[in-house]
Amino acid sequence: MKTIILLSVLGIVAMMADIFKYRAVLWYLVLAGIGAAVGLELLEWNQNMPYYGMLLMDNYAVAFSCIILGLLFVWFLVSRDSYTGQEFNDADHYALILFSSVGALLMVSFVDLSLMFLGIEILSIPLYILAGSRKKDLSSNESSLKYFLMGSFTTGILLFGITLVYGATGTFHIERIASAIGNSTMPVYFYTGIALLVVGFGFKVSAVPFHFWTPDVYQGAPTFITAYMSTIVKTAGFAGFYRLFSTSFSNARMPELMEGTTWSILVIVLIVLTIVIGNLIAAYQTNAKRMLAYSGVAQAGYMLMAVLVSQVEDNTKSSLMLYMASYGLATLAAFTVLYYVQKSKGSDEFEAFTSLGKTNPLLAAVLTISMLSLAGIPPTAGFFAKFYLFTSVLKANPSLLWLVGVAIFGSLVSVYYYFKLIISMYGSDEKSTAEVPTNMAYQFILVAIVLIILFLGIQPGLITNLANL
Amino acid sequence: MEQIIFIILSVLAVVGALAVIFSSNAVYSVLFLVLTFFAIAGHFILLNAQFLAIVNIIVYAGAIMVLFLFVIMLLNLNKDSEAPTPALARIAGAIAAGLLMVTIVGAFKGLSQGSDVALRGGEIGTVSRLGQVLFSDFLLPFEISSVLFLSAMIGAVMLGKKNLKDS
Repeated sequence: MKTIILLSVLGIVAMMADIFKYRAVLWYLVLAGIGAAVGLELLEWNQNMPYYGMLLMDNYAVAFSCIILGLLFVWFLVSRDSYTGQEFNDADHYALILFSSVGALLMVSFVDLSLMFLGIEILSIPLYILAGSRKKDLSSNESSLKYFLMGSFTTGILLFGITLVYGATGTFHIERIASAIGNSTMPVYFYTGIALLVVGFGFKVSAVPFHFWTPDVYQGAPTFITAYMSTIVKTAGFAGFYRLFSTSFSNARMPELMEGTTWSILVIVLIVLTIVIGNLIAAYQTNAKRMLAYSGVAQAGYMLMAVLVSQVEDNTKSSLMLYMASYGLATLAAFTVLYYVQKSKGSDEFEAFTSLGKTNPLLAAVLTISMLSLAGIPPTAGFFAKFYLFTSVLKANPSLLWLVGVAIFGSLVSVYYYFKLIISMYGSDEKSTAEVPTNMAYQFILVAIVLIILFLGIQPGLITNLANL
Repeated sequence: MEQIIFIILSVLAVVGALAVIFSSNAVYSVLFLVLTFFAIAGHFILLNAQFLAIVNIIVYAGAIMVLFLFVIMLLNLNKDSEAPTPALARIAGAIAAGLLMVTIVGAFKGLSQGSDVALRGGEIGTVSRLGQVLFSDFLLPFEISSVLFLSAMIGAVMLGKKNLKDS
């Protein structure tokens, strides 16, 4: 709660920077503010403080808030270069990003559906605008409009779902919804409401078949806005999805129809489609940004597995956290390298990366390690993230072995397209020997990110031991 | 009496909504949408929600629909400029929307009519009751929505002004 207020104030500070002429120091102010926000968040650890019956800062919320704030901090560090180039006004962008992350924090700590809806809207609306911030670029316009139209349409579906759930249970509070289910048989439209909620969240986290907007929006938006969308927005979306479904709907059963929860079959279909289609289409991409977009779609499939078994196995919380942290860091590092290559070569096709291994061995190494982490190869964090996720699925329900098999097949396919990028970097080409210019400070930051990824690979217990929240 | 008004309003709403979809002229569509909004506002009054009814008329039928009309006039929509929709997309869309309709109709089939909300308590839905709920139980969402509006305003300003490079 304190963090939410602090970030909102920080957003207002960023908004005023142009008027009161302190844009030069704004970046430092924002970084200091986010650092303070992490501190404030840590103070709430183990407190379990409820706020107005709308927010509950339990350890789940605190841990996910810290992951989001950490990713936000890294985002501000690596994205600085695109704002010193004077193309965008950093005051406006920083204000919108900070407001958007207020929405992300709401998504991880809500206990009331009205606040969840507000969180999703606060998270998305600044991004509709930011996606179109290259006003004279047609693909940026397309990205913004597509995101806005699809986003508002699914918001309608989500709201309809909330309405039906409210109509059946008479409450917005996620724990009271759970107790209302426990007491009586629910009307059929309650389950329709859950299905609509799955569709709404499926869109927000870009699960197949609600992923059609993802590649175009990711490709058209400015690179660092894409990086924000594919890390922090996804983390917040999954944290909210998990929180709602594990708390409210873990007992939503129609015994006359099937075993288990009613929505689990729906989520299983989403998982299989997302993993298979996401990975197969990603393998055909020749554009690095589009490939990362489809890899984000495919990764959503693995993350959905945590939601699927949320009601049975308590460890899924921590494996989802580890997954989000490792995915977020690796994706941010990959997008940063992509940004530099795009800036100096003017293209984000795979060819632009040719002989990067010779001209910029450091950038190439950073990209290689982040690709290895995304593919899930030891000793990176991505391997343990996948490992813990799959084992917690098997522990919860051994009959889901076939689903884990599908997921492993998907990871094998993903190795192919992640390595395609790595191979093209270390291939040599006489034509493109020009070095990609980078700044010492940014190189240092990138190395730090890679070290964290490797460290989480050696010490995954750092996050998974948060299991007993 | 109430039953008759309800039936009239429902027929108006459904016919209006269908006419929105089936009229080929976009301006007619918008006008039919206004009719639908008025019918729904009538339903709100029947349910003793005067505030919602007025807001529905002022915001949706008034502000947003006028905006729609302006956009349609500026875009100068007609049959020739319409992008062709592939048959596959039409069929897929029809199947998906049809499935959604079947699901929802199936879900609501066989529900019995509950007790009349407006008669219970009598206060539900009035402006004063709404204000009390908004500033007590829903105080936090009410305050936090200011962040939403602020970011929308900043966004509007940002989209309206030039990028640094252009100026």
